[in-house]
Amino acid sequence: MSVLKLDRGRVALAVKKVVIAESRLAISPDQVADDEPLNGASLRINSLGFVGMLIQLEEQLGVTLSDDLFVGRSFTTVADLVDVIQNHSEVSA
Amino acid sequence: MSIQVPAQWRSALPYLDERLPEDRTPQTRAGGSVQVNLPMELARQSIQQKEFWDIPAPVQEAYRSFRPTPLWRASRFEQAIGSRVPIWVKYEGENISGSHKLNTALAQAYYYHKAGVRELVTGTGAGQWGTALAAACSLFGMRCTIFMVGTSLERKPYRGVLMRLLGAEVHASPTTLTDVARQSGGQGNSLSLAIGEAVEYAARTSGAAFCIGSGENYSILHQSVIGLEAAEQLAEHEAEVDAVIGCVGAGSNFGGLALPFYTEAKASGGTMPRLVAAESSSTPKLTKGVYAYDKTDATGTSPLEAMYTIGSDYSIPDSHSAGLRYHGAAKLISALRHQGYVDAVAVDQVTALECGRVFTQTQTVLPAPESCHALAAAARLATSGAGDLRAERGILVCVSGHGYLDLGAYQQLLDGTLRDQAPSPAALLAAVSGLAPVDSPARQS
Repeated sequence: MSVLKLDRGRVALAVKKVVIAESRLAISPDQVADDEPLNGASLRINSLGFVGMLIQLEEQLGVTLSDDLFVGRSFTTVADLVDVIQNHSEVSA
Repeated sequence: MSIQVPAQWRSALPYLDERLPEDRTPQTRAGGSVQVNLPMELARQSIQQKEFWDIPAPVQEAYRSFRPTPLWRASRFEQAIGSRVPIWVKYEGENISGSHKLNTALAQAYYYHKAGVRELVTGTGAGQWGTALAAACSLFGMRCTIFMVGTSLERKPYRGVLMRLLGAEVHASPTTLTDVARQSGGQGNSLSLAIGEAVEYAARTSGAAFCIGSGENYSILHQSVIGLEAAEQLAEHEAEVDAVIGCVGAGSNFGGLALPFYTEAKASGGTMPRLVAAESSSTPKLTKGVYAYDKTDATGTSPLEAMYTIGSDYSIPDSHSAGLRYHGAAKLISALRHQGYVDAVAVDQVTALECGRVFTQTQTVLPAPESCHALAAAARLATSGAGDLRAERGILVCVSGHGYLDLGAYQQLLDGTLRDQAPSPAALLAAVSGLAPVDSPARQS
């Protein structure tokens, strides 16, 4: 596998769709700001649901997310997650 | 023995009639960050509908020090109990942990280590899982902290010695270290409380992660080496079985033995043997429990999982089979029970250990008290039958561990002082009364 820098717009759209679904909201992705808190007044992502969300993103984007990017790290906003996925994904074999 | 250690684990998830009910996550307060506590590969193994998973080379190498585990026909045991059919034994006790738990401990320690975790924290009942994790952490150079059910540790102090010898820090639960124990009001000594203590301790310790030995889909996947090997070994002996039996605490050795037979039958369209779970009659989740959403530990922060349960708040009667003293069955085992693929038999501990004595004398292998429940269920299917459950061609039974650190239980059997404590029907009913049945809609937040 090799590290791939993905298109930011594509990653942001995928992330926003997944966080909307996980929060059980009926809004469109463009209503979610990049600096929207993952666990705030609108989005309600908790740690238990977060890992399942990452697996969905792997499948949708066709990438593998490396463990050392996530375990023990904290994520506050949508942009935090987009940054990591955009810059550190590996193309699935 | 000509079979090899499997190079892949085999998952049953792609062959379920229905996907597993989703966990219900408790609502958390808004604000604060989100953290990841589970290695991605373990998450993938829990969720993805992929059948075969490569076993990482370092885990395979560790497996080779004790696998393939032996399988033999217990002929003298058959004679002693008057069995009508051959009984084949798959024995998982020949490793330092003394049980099947090392199969998943090695895999989990490998993945957590790869993810950068430096310390693993867990709760353990009988101590087999704790010992397995201590051994795995030692192998992968990680720290290990164990919360062991206090009464169990008191009965089996050498479990503590072994875990400490392997480098682990061992605490008797309930401790004074955690809020969850302090708030338990002395109602402790249960496995869910020990697990709850481990969850809390790991959450506040830098570089640490909580991990669990049984119940999760990935731990059952790792245990599939048991059934995969057994199927090959039976084929070598040209043996046929129509019942596959394991004891159930949460269900990892039973799942590890039985689900490869389920998966193979589903994949090939072949005949599936009866998959029979042997549980303790003092913890009868599969025979007297309800299929409902319940907690997995005492913290109240865990997801609610769809499981057969007697209620996570139920105060389980004391017994020597601490590994079976868990309120719920794994969600995968529970779903298969719900869909009619898993039968269940409840066994008293006196009956179980008496059967263990016969097995010891005829096979010169000392089974753990938990494993004695599987042997007693096998003996029932091989002779009079258990209700409408009978074996007609052959039985495969997993002896999941050895009983060298459980000799206190056998001493009570020899002294005639071993007793059973049946659960109170009223208490069982009360413990499940507030749980949402699995088919109920999720509560809207």
